[in-house]
Amino acid sequence: MSTSAASPPTAHDWGDLADDVRASRLMEEALAATEVAGLSFADVRLVEAEELRLYTARSGDLDERSEHSAGIGVRVLLDGAWGFAAVPLSGPAAPGDGAPRQAAEHAVRSARAGSGLARAELPPRAPSSGRWEVPVELDPFAVRDEERHLLLQEVVRAASAPHAVRSVTAGLNAKRQHKHYADSEGSRQHQHLVESGAVLQATAVDASGVQRRSYPNSFHGNTAAGGWEYVTGLSLPSEAARVGEEAAQLLTAPHAPAGTASVVIGPAQMALQIHESVGHAIELDRILGDETNFAGTSWVQPADIGSLRYGSPAVTIVADPTLPGTRGTFAWDDEGTPAVRRTLVGEGVLREVLSSRESAARHGRETSGAARSDGWAYLPVPFATNVYLEPGTGSLPELLDRMGDGYYVDDNRSWSIDDRRLAFQFGTEVAWEVRRGRRGRLLRGFSYGGMTPQFWGSVEAVAGPEEFRSFGMPCGKGEPKQWGFLGHGAAPTLVRSVRIGVMG
Amino acid sequence: MSAPDRSTGASPLRAAVGRDRALSACHAAVASALAAGADQASAFLAARNAGYTRFAQNRVHQPQDICEWTLMVRAEVDGRASRVATTDLQAASTIGERATERARALAVAYGHLPALRVVAAAEADDHDASLWLEDTAAWDTGARTAAARATMAEADRAGGAAYGMYGHAATELATVTAQGVSRYARATEAVGGLTVRIGDGTSHWTDVDRSLGVLDLEAAAARTVREAHAGQHRVDLPDGTYDVVLGPLATGALLERIAAFGFTGEAVADGVGAVARRPGELVAATAVDVADDPGAPRGLPFPFDLEGTTSVRVPLLDQGRVAQAVTDLASAARSGLAPTGHAHIAREETPHAVPASITMAGGATEDLLAGVERGLYVQRLWYLNVIDPETTTLTGGSRDACFLVEEGRLAQPVAPARFSESVFGALARVDAIGSEILAQPLMNVWNGCVSAPAVRVRGFRFGGAT
Repeated sequence: MSTSAASPPTAHDWGDLADDVRASRLMEEALAATEVAGLSFADVRLVEAEELRLYTARSGDLDERSEHSAGIGVRVLLDGAWGFAAVPLSGPAAPGDGAPRQAAEHAVRSARAGSGLARAELPPRAPSSGRWEVPVELDPFAVRDEERHLLLQEVVRAASAPHAVRSVTAGLNAKRQHKHYADSEGSRQHQHLVESGAVLQATAVDASGVQRRSYPNSFHGNTAAGGWEYVTGLSLPSEAARVGEEAAQLLTAPHAPAGTASVVIGPAQMALQIHESVGHAIELDRILGDETNFAGTSWVQPADIGSLRYGSPAVTIVADPTLPGTRGTFAWDDEGTPAVRRTLVGEGVLREVLSSRESAARHGRETSGAARSDGWAYLPVPFATNVYLEPGTGSLPELLDRMGDGYYVDDNRSWSIDDRRLAFQFGTEVAWEVRRGRRGRLLRGFSYGGMTPQFWGSVEAVAGPEEFRSFGMPCGKGEPKQWGFLGHGAAPTLVRSVRIGVMG
Repeated sequence: MSAPDRSTGASPLRAAVGRDRALSACHAAVASALAAGADQASAFLAARNAGYTRFAQNRVHQPQDICEWTLMVRAEVDGRASRVATTDLQAASTIGERATERARALAVAYGHLPALRVVAAAEADDHDASLWLEDTAAWDTGARTAAARATMAEADRAGGAAYGMYGHAATELATVTAQGVSRYARATEAVGGLTVRIGDGTSHWTDVDRSLGVLDLEAAAARTVREAHAGQHRVDLPDGTYDVVLGPLATGALLERIAAFGFTGEAVADGVGAVARRPGELVAATAVDVADDPGAPRGLPFPFDLEGTTSVRVPLLDQGRVAQAVTDLASAARSGLAPTGHAHIAREETPHAVPASITMAGGATEDLLAGVERGLYVQRLWYLNVIDPETTTLTGGSRDACFLVEEGRLAQPVAPARFSESVFGALARVDAIGSEILAQPLMNVWNGCVSAPAVRVRGFRFGGAT
């Protein structure tokens, strides 16, 4: 596979590991060091990443930081037992500096200790090699400082306009990383990922309490695969003014009621709903019990895959890392499996799960290409990729009209779900009363709860593609905890008979 | 047929970078910033060399040997600061210059800002024998895997399965400032986490300490198997308000979000939260003492923070009353409070002060169940999140070994249930505190830990969400 992007070479031409020859030498050195008796598989992840973050606050505080990281992670399967080790590269990533061999030897050592228990097996896979880059129009690392600073100042000023707004934090972020992969089956891959993002939070305070509004999303803002063009497309100054005003208005808004109601849930909240009650629930390692001690298990059982009624016929959920522009976009997952679109839930029925090669093999199926690892230092495990709810038809006003009486809510304020991903409770930053299809009063303190299959079974309709929004978010899993970076998206979704006002 | 080769050839855990190399990198970074014209400069190197043995059912599915470090320099020009970090220690002498250039650009764009208070000079090797324990260092891959095998076998003999993680780590922090601070400390960490499932019964145990010996792994595994066995045949918990005994892990979970209730310098400066709005107010039972204690005997004590400030004990709830807030240099300057040594830089977040060693004092009650005629025992709370920081309301769920209590004894096992409760409200209804302490890691906090005893709460509401 080889995809060439029509982007300026400067966005991808940085760092020691832009050089495929150098990277290849390091990886071959590591692979060679894994060649001991009993080895059936080895792979190497070699990653160099740089991240730029700039935050500005209403208080005048600034934080700017640039973080660079490079390292190598080696995984082996030896006599049916896994081993893994990772070390940073201290220096200009030169072959022979010891890191590749050290990581390989430590991986072999840890595998030897685990031999003699149940054997892990990997079915063979045809090698897949090539180079792929995220298309970038404007290199976020080449943007002039003045442009970034002026934008943030304007955003903070706009959000701070209402007197009640006590604090505002605005931030911009960009990340670029060379991800090299090699394995003992012959795959050799180089992906260059670039992402850009922004965050804004305004907090209003009075004697009645504290209210917060966020943009583009309350959970770490939003980050997309791409360049500065993503940030300029966010209309940050005008959205900041709206966010500040809404935060102030929420202070005097009536409290949302309790009961059972129809609700149209906006894309930002739906993204988290998908993440918590679908994405995590259908990770195959959880289903098979591997995460029992920490992240938890799943209400989905191994035998359910292919037949379980997960939601209504209006619910089709897809994992598609081949779609451009999301934080779950890639050409290969982190164990070298080529990206492919998969329907996870088709018209309400569970068709596929998020799996790695090892978990898929244990269940007797092919991997769905969802093994993700946090840089070079962690093992690849099943995580969501770019998992989204397929849009239906029609605009948001049309969906509200269809609902009649109920609530339109969006943007998460609090979240919690049990360790089987079954019983959940969410709060949203905003809610509007809807009467006869028209948006009315702003309400504060909206919350709703439910059980995963009942919730998804109560989805009546999803708005059309013109209302679809995609969000990139971080997530944690594993021991030690590692971060996954995922894409989730949805259009506004109409759900009937939702239990609301559940905060006790 | 020869015996399988399980020899690992492992040597005891070592610090990944070491004192001299760590301090040298920090000094080089600071020197390069000053040479480039920075008004102030500081640097830290944080490193972690760790081995984890993760097991499930009948295999070690995730053995991990992870070495990580980062060197970060902060340069200040006209009060504006920028940070540059790298894993490349050979670049130490250049990142200070880059940070200074960035800070200068910020000063041009945003103008002058008063400089932060600087940390007084202190050159010290913070060597503390209680931080580095050889038993933990010696708990190598082979020893951990042997322990995991024994645990899995014990669960199997009881008709169930074990899932868990045993690990050890060497944590290092070096900090250097232009004002003469030069500090280094290293510490070991032993961590154990175990869930045993037998039928529909589960039980969980977690503990973390500088010393492996404190964890008492064999006893913990045996108890967890027993509890999982007793926890079979669960029934749903009827919605209602119960007299509840929260186990040590559940109490710790209840406290892990306490920073969100206003116990930071930022909240004080913004005029929000408990310390700003309710100072001295009695919000918990007078027996409740919660502090951030970097010198605590349990958990993960550490002597100073990323800015080189000595970390001091900060009472958060003192005999039930709202007490003080933790600060870093920036929030101390904004709030007018003293620096307490709680600087933290979290991924994808602005730097901010956090309590990193939350401790609740133990009590003297050996059997908390004895005082419960009809109620509930909750071993573990899960996925807690703040609903309302002003009312200190959290939502979350119970997990693993939970039982109805009848006449002072564990009775019918119950399934996990959801709750939304005020933390202050629950602590106000505490009428007894146990003596056993368990510690657990604080997610997303460098060297973060919360340690707590079991408590008895007279009235804790479960249900209502679904």
